[in-house]
Amino acid sequence: MSVAPLRQFNTFHSDPKFGRLLLVSLIAHGLIWVAFSIDLFGTNTRPKPPIYYVDLIHKPVLNPQAGRPDPRPAKKPKAATVKRTVQTAAPTVTKKPTKPAVKPLVKPAKVVKPKPVPKPTTKIDQRKEQKVQSALDEIRERQARQAERDALKDKLAKLRDSAGAATVAADVPVGMPDGTGDEAGIAVVAFVQAFIQQNWALSRYLIDQSRIANIEAKATLVYSAAGKLIRYRINTPSGNQQFDDSLKKAIIKSQQLPQPLPKILELNVTFNLKEMAGRN
Amino acid sequence: MLLRGFIVCLVCCALPWSVMAATDIEISSPGEQSIPLALTWLLPTQGTQSAKVAAEFNEVLDADLDLSGLFRFVSQAAFLDDAKHIGLYSTQVNFPQWRMLGAETLIKGTYSLDGEKLVVEARLFDVVNRRLLTGRRYVGERKDVRRMAHAFADLVLKELTGEEGPFSARIAYISNQSGDKELWLMDVDGKRPLRLTNHRSIVLNPDFSPRGKEILFTSYRANNPDLYRKEIYSGKEAKISYKQGLNVAGRMAPNEREIALTLSKDGNPEIYLIGTSGRVRKRVTNSWGIDSDPSWSPDGSQLAFISNRQGNPHVFITDIFSGKTERLTRRGKYNATPAWSPKGDRIAFTRQEGGRFDIYTVNTDGSDERRLSFGPGNSEHPRWSPDGRFIIYSSDKAGNRAIYVMRADGTGARRLTNAKSDSRHPAWSPRW
Repeated sequence: MSVAPLRQFNTFHSDPKFGRLLLVSLIAHGLIWVAFSIDLFGTNTRPKPPIYYVDLIHKPVLNPQAGRPDPRPAKKPKAATVKRTVQTAAPTVTKKPTKPAVKPLVKPAKVVKPKPVPKPTTKIDQRKEQKVQSALDEIRERQARQAERDALKDKLAKLRDSAGAATVAADVPVGMPDGTGDEAGIAVVAFVQAFIQQNWALSRYLIDQSRIANIEAKATLVYSAAGKLIRYRINTPSGNQQFDDSLKKAIIKSQQLPQPLPKILELNVTFNLKEMAGRN
Repeated sequence: MLLRGFIVCLVCCALPWSVMAATDIEISSPGEQSIPLALTWLLPTQGTQSAKVAAEFNEVLDADLDLSGLFRFVSQAAFLDDAKHIGLYSTQVNFPQWRMLGAETLIKGTYSLDGEKLVVEARLFDVVNRRLLTGRRYVGERKDVRRMAHAFADLVLKELTGEEGPFSARIAYISNQSGDKELWLMDVDGKRPLRLTNHRSIVLNPDFSPRGKEILFTSYRANNPDLYRKEIYSGKEAKISYKQGLNVAGRMAPNEREIALTLSKDGNPEIYLIGTSGRVRKRVTNSWGIDSDPSWSPDGSQLAFISNRQGNPHVFITDIFSGKTERLTRRGKYNATPAWSPKGDRIAFTRQEGGRFDIYTVNTDGSDERRLSFGPGNSEHPRWSPDGRFIIYSSDKAGNRAIYVMRADGTGARRLTNAKSDSRHPAWSPRW
């Protein structure tokens, strides 16, 4: 072993700035170690990012196929939709369309005699009338619901068609708006948002109806990568005690997420009742 | 050198925070639009056990809180063992168990029955924050259990909303249960009906004084519609206004010094202010049309009333001091019985449309008109609860005319009186 480097080290050691530099270096290393130990950067130990499942029916994402690597071209011909709409819209019209009215008056077919409607015997019982009325209302409501469902189905079918081979991509992983293609579900932020909203309970009768459109509070929430609420702060309270209390309860109930997060997450959450006011 | 070291240190510290940029999100409606409440049954502590006491208390409290529309009740079938533990201190309550059931609030209570003496202790807990919100000990007789439950329901609303509930109040109404149209009094859930008059004539249009000690009403006892005043506790009755013609729809001013009513002593029905002795102090309206059904604003400076001075009957508002009168409603061919809300922001009234009367509310500037009652039958005579949360009215949708109650937004309607007799003209008393 040569003596020169040792000597050089000794002269360097005798330099008064060495101590300070060493101290700074130690502090910097210590800080980095602390940052990693409290999981500030998130861990890279997981082989794959976690999967977040949310109710996509209630929480649709803007573009659920955004992360898909290689969408296939559309296979379905448009005729399928047309067929469906024809079937659902007017099933009776499709009956015997080939035969035009050649002999319209020869055999007018059997005219089904309407069954004699039983005449109201005496006074119509008001209760019965109400029952009939309510039954009719129910039927109407059911029909309206069915029509709504059909309309939604049509809409979905159209969306499916416009999205190409979105439904037949069994071998291609489903992406997410900000995903890379190997995740399922939706964005982490949307997942946390849905979780907090689910835990927020507030009755409309607690808020003055005239204030319902303007009431708003802002809070900051910080979640660790393990999905635990590290800290929260109500930055701008609404001024309504019931509203603010309900927020605090929602935050407390959301202090542990059901899934870990890919990294530490800080959220600036604005709570308001705009949707409620819209339905008012 | 020290400076460089400091900068390096700063960069090391700031790096993770710069990576973790905050994300802005907006939550524009709560996931659950009611407060999950676990309502347990009262448990006996000592003395005689009476399942009836617990059942009655639970039934009344459940009905009151359900009417408020604030709560979603956690199913009692899902309750775990803490529902059977007597402990009423927050340290004795197993909050995680209730939280597991999804409850945010919890009501627990005990009772002890010694002969006829009943002591009920009920408490409201915040499950999320694990603390006692409010509690009360009621001492009374066995027959008072309903009153205790109503009082506790009021307390629960006060704690959670900041404003006491109206369930301890009473409702006055006109019913022909006894054969004639007489004045009756009942609880806000329609129970414990009590007849107040025995005029054997026609009694109509009752209204409570602002302090709730007296009731004004019109009676045809002397073959003329005269205005009477009745003290509720003593039963003393006095005829206040008995001028020729109509002496109807008497409404006491918030200061209890004047009564607004419709008099037709000069031929045409007009609205007057009279003193509590019956002396006319002021003629409020003066038009060729019929002016009737006055209703005071909460501050006592204005009156809403019905007039047909511009054609069909519509709601008008007049300033008592300046006499300035403005028309409030513009639609419908027949508007009637306005009632000013205790908060002063809205006026409820009846409108006939399509041959049927329904309840409407409107802002005092005529904006935001809303129809509250739907379905078959006529709904009339709307009156507000003292807190403005509910509206009572009469309706014949189930055959005979009966008294109904609904929330101020028209939801949660329920019948209070039975349909065997004819009940109408309800009036909700102030809190007692």
